Amino acid sequence: MKNRIVLLLLLLFTLITAFVSGKQYALIVILLIADIKLFLVAFQFMELKKAHLFWRITLSLLIILVTMSLYILKN
Amino acid sequence: MSMTESKTDYRNIFYPPGGILIWIIIFLELITFSLGLLAMVYYGKAESSLFHASSLTLNLNIAIVNTVVLLSSSYFMATAVQFTKEENTKKAADYTGLTIIFGLLFVCLKTFDYYLKIQAGEFLTTNTFYAFFWMLTAFHLIHVLIGLSILIYFYVAMKRGKETLQLTDMMAGAAFWHMCDLIWLLLFPVIYLIF
Repeated sequence: MKNRIVLLLLLLFTLITAFVSGKQYALIVILLIADIKLFLVAFQFMELKKAHLFWRITLSLLIILVTMSLYILKN
Repeated sequence: MSMTESKTDYRNIFYPPGGILIWIIIFLELITFSLGLLAMVYYGKAESSLFHASSLTLNLNIAIVNTVVLLSSSYFMATAVQFTKEENTKKAADYTGLTIIFGLLFVCLKTFDYYLKIQAGEFLTTNTFYAFFWMLTAFHLIHVLIGLSILIYFYVAMKRGKETLQLTDMMAGAAFWHMCDLIWLLLFPVIYLIF
């Protein structure tokens, strides 16, 4: 059931991403949504939520670092 | 078939879901693709008009459908793992089959996307944008094909009731498949949307 809700959220976020493309503040919205989608897949589908804190923090930091770097480089 | 829920304690730092080796691979792959994307954005700043014009030639509809297809396949994979834990091999095989079908659909759509690019004369050497586009998406496609091979092996093993297939193997294969999804979730916005 939880997986199904996560899938619906992922599909909804994908549609939102396509919709906001080209609009004002699109970059930050697109990257934030990408972050949320990455977290949903990693923590729910890959069951990272069950893993040791080390893995959860490391992957979270990597995702945030990458998207922040993309934002800084693009601006 | 020995597919019962293992006694593995995932809270142990050395035993993340799927095993430590697959997670090291996942981190290395994510870092590699991220560096590629950062380089793309860096070069895109120097040639902003060229990157913008080139990105407009990409087929966004195919990319959106491909994102939906890959996310759905990830859901089927997660469900297959759930059924594997519950020792419901028939349903686990069915959902693994669905994952494979959606994975093949992704490959077909990506191949069609490449066909359109080749028809339009937009190759790896056309400009810097296309160099990144071809390199990153083709490298990702290779990962999808490797993931599909692993899933087809699991599917055949489950259908034959093979004794050697373990839950940890299934979870490692699933983690690899989800990794393809993670990489695509990074590639999609950068290549198709932000230029």
